[in-house]
Amino acid sequence: MEKMLRNKKALLVFMLPAFLLFTLVLFIPIIQSVYYSLCEYKGMTKPVFIGFDNYKNLLHDKTFGIALKNSMFFLVFSCVSQLLVGLIYAAILTNIKKGRNLFKNIIYLPCVLSSAALGLLWLFIFGPKLGINQLLIKWGVEDPPLWLMSTKGTIPLPMWMIAFVSLWQFVGQSMMLYMAQISGISKSLMEASYIDGCTKPMTFRYITLPLIKPMVATAMSLNAIGSLKFFDLIWNMTTGGPNHKTEVLATHLYQQFKYFKYGYASAIGVVLLILCLLVTLFINKVVKTEQYEM
Amino acid sequence: MKKRRILATLMTAAMFATTLGGCGNSSGGTGASTNSNGNGGGSGSGKSDGVQEITWMFWDDLDATEDLISLGYKETIERFNKDYEGKYHVKPITTNLEEYYNKLNALVAAGDTPDVFIVSPGPQLTDYVEPGVAAPLDDYLNKDGWKDTFTSDAVFTQQTYDGKIYAVPLNTAAACCFYNTEMFEKAGAKVPTNWDEMITACDKLKAAGYTPITISAGTAWCLSMVAGYLCEAEGVELAKLADGSASWEDGKLESAATKLVDLSKYFQKTAAGDTNDVATANFYNEEAAILIQGSWVIGQINGSNPDFESKCGVFQFPGVDRIIAKSDSLCMSSTSKNPDGAAALIKYFTDDTAQKYTAEKGGKIPVTKVKYDEAAAPKQLSYVMDVFGKAKGTFGFYNESMPTTETGAHFDDTMVAVFLGDMKPAEAAKDMEDYYKANCRK
Repeated sequence: MEKMLRNKKALLVFMLPAFLLFTLVLFIPIIQSVYYSLCEYKGMTKPVFIGFDNYKNLLHDKTFGIALKNSMFFLVFSCVSQLLVGLIYAAILTNIKKGRNLFKNIIYLPCVLSSAALGLLWLFIFGPKLGINQLLIKWGVEDPPLWLMSTKGTIPLPMWMIAFVSLWQFVGQSMMLYMAQISGISKSLMEASYIDGCTKPMTFRYITLPLIKPMVATAMSLNAIGSLKFFDLIWNMTTGGPNHKTEVLATHLYQQFKYFKYGYASAIGVVLLILCLLVTLFINKVVKTEQYEM
Repeated sequence: MKKRRILATLMTAAMFATTLGGCGNSSGGTGASTNSNGNGGGSGSGKSDGVQEITWMFWDDLDATEDLISLGYKETIERFNKDYEGKYHVKPITTNLEEYYNKLNALVAAGDTPDVFIVSPGPQLTDYVEPGVAAPLDDYLNKDGWKDTFTSDAVFTQQTYDGKIYAVPLNTAAACCFYNTEMFEKAGAKVPTNWDEMITACDKLKAAGYTPITISAGTAWCLSMVAGYLCEAEGVELAKLADGSASWEDGKLESAATKLVDLSKYFQKTAAGDTNDVATANFYNEEAAILIQGSWVIGQINGSNPDFESKCGVFQFPGVDRIIAKSDSLCMSSTSKNPDGAAALIKYFTDDTAQKYTAEKGGKIPVTKVKYDEAAAPKQLSYVMDVFGKAKGTFGFYNESMPTTETGAHFDDTMVAVFLGDMKPAEAAKDMEDYYKANCRK
């Protein structure tokens, strides 16, 4: 291995495809997008440099404000709910013997299904003429809620429903990450804690939790990025409506294509990128981790 | 630790790039593959067997639709493919209406404009004419007397820019009030001719246990169409608003918006989120008494529930003299590699066979002088023709008669906000005035 690592030609040959791919598919488009965000660019004509006008316009864009608020709600909701529910699932499943794999697969299954198909499925479930509301009417509820159509409140009901569906879909991923980390904890540590008189909850609190902290930071970062660029479930369940009430940054970005506002869309994209970086840095700073011998 | 943070940050950037990268343009926007207009290298392609492919883009799925007009378009394409077998072959690109312009614009920006595409006249067509995406069609229209087959040159008014025609209309539709005659009869309601009678009719329908009006605010232009009629009744003049000689805050829009709020008390409960298709289905499934919609809906109603035709009446939106009219129009890409084939395809949509189908089965008004069998046409078409005949003129959809596509969308959103109670009528008027000052007036 060391001999191979000293061979600079071999290193170059192995690294070149990935380097080219990263540069062509990721790096150049990012730089292009940053440039377009400073231009009035309609896609059909040459971009015209306008400085920070697109960013200034974002400040006056009411829908951008709604989208930013919804994205932030989504971020907080996803990080907190997936952390808690994922941890609970992981703690329970690592402590049961019978049916562990069955439940693990059931909880993880939505993760591997198409978000577009799931969006449509939940659209039918929450639709006024199908699913839950028909059951509620049968049970005597005269005026069941309009799950995906209500517009009242700072965070309207459809946003809570989408957040719930997203939790249901992606909690399996957090659970798997925590389970993998918990499985890596040495049994002798657990046994030592039991000998010292710890109960199971105490062992979880004082042994398991500190040891899975690095994975908490990773899972939270993944959740944060995923929720900030969240698009498909929302698009398929509400298309950002009613009247942009469930718009998030990614859907607002996409809506700009209708008006050939590629420069403005790029500015939204850059804001998203900056938010992703800031949130990741924040999570890494707040969730302080120490390396333990497991 | 520091290294880990840097690595995590880099990974974040890499993950996010998949989203951001979508905003970029693979051709670099003005690279070597673009033409003088900045467009891509052209559409259409040659096949190895010598058959030239023509792409045609439309806002309905031809294989899944029950809409009779869309099915007529499918028949026209099949007829064209058969007649030009071995020379041209049409490849339809379809999507739903809500996604149509997003997809079309992405194709245009990527330099892959379809050879022929449908577009609404007004600022949406302007979006494709001004940057040179759409080609002028005068040479083709003047050849072999094609232009003479149309009812008059006036049908091209909305498609003409600097004296050149950039799109060919396929049919005309009028926005009317479709109503369930049986429900009206049972409720003892009369066909309204003014605003007060409209409210009285809705009250009677509601008292009889019916949902008076089905409408979509989820598809904003549907609600905005009603707002357009209410603005017309109040005397709003869009041209004067655009040049600044009138103000949105002169009380007319406020009054129209107040009436919209009054009328909304008679909408179905789910109007805020219902899409156009759902709202229309409420009508032909007899869950509501009135549907305010363009006459293109006849094909959708009769295609989905043929038994409903006998119960479906039509009246003009009360309190207005003019009627909202609109045509589906086809554009040809300026970068088409098969312009002759593309023009021939457009011509097929306006030939006698297609135009007869438009009237006799689709229920839309033909744009050519074709003689069609009025007895064979849907009953609703004759009612629409009556409404058309009595109207003192036509005007365009409000959202398609404003300076830009985005301004039209802003009007739609503002009217939906009024309906939802997020804005008061006076606030809506101020919002529109502020928007016009900032974006529409020089």
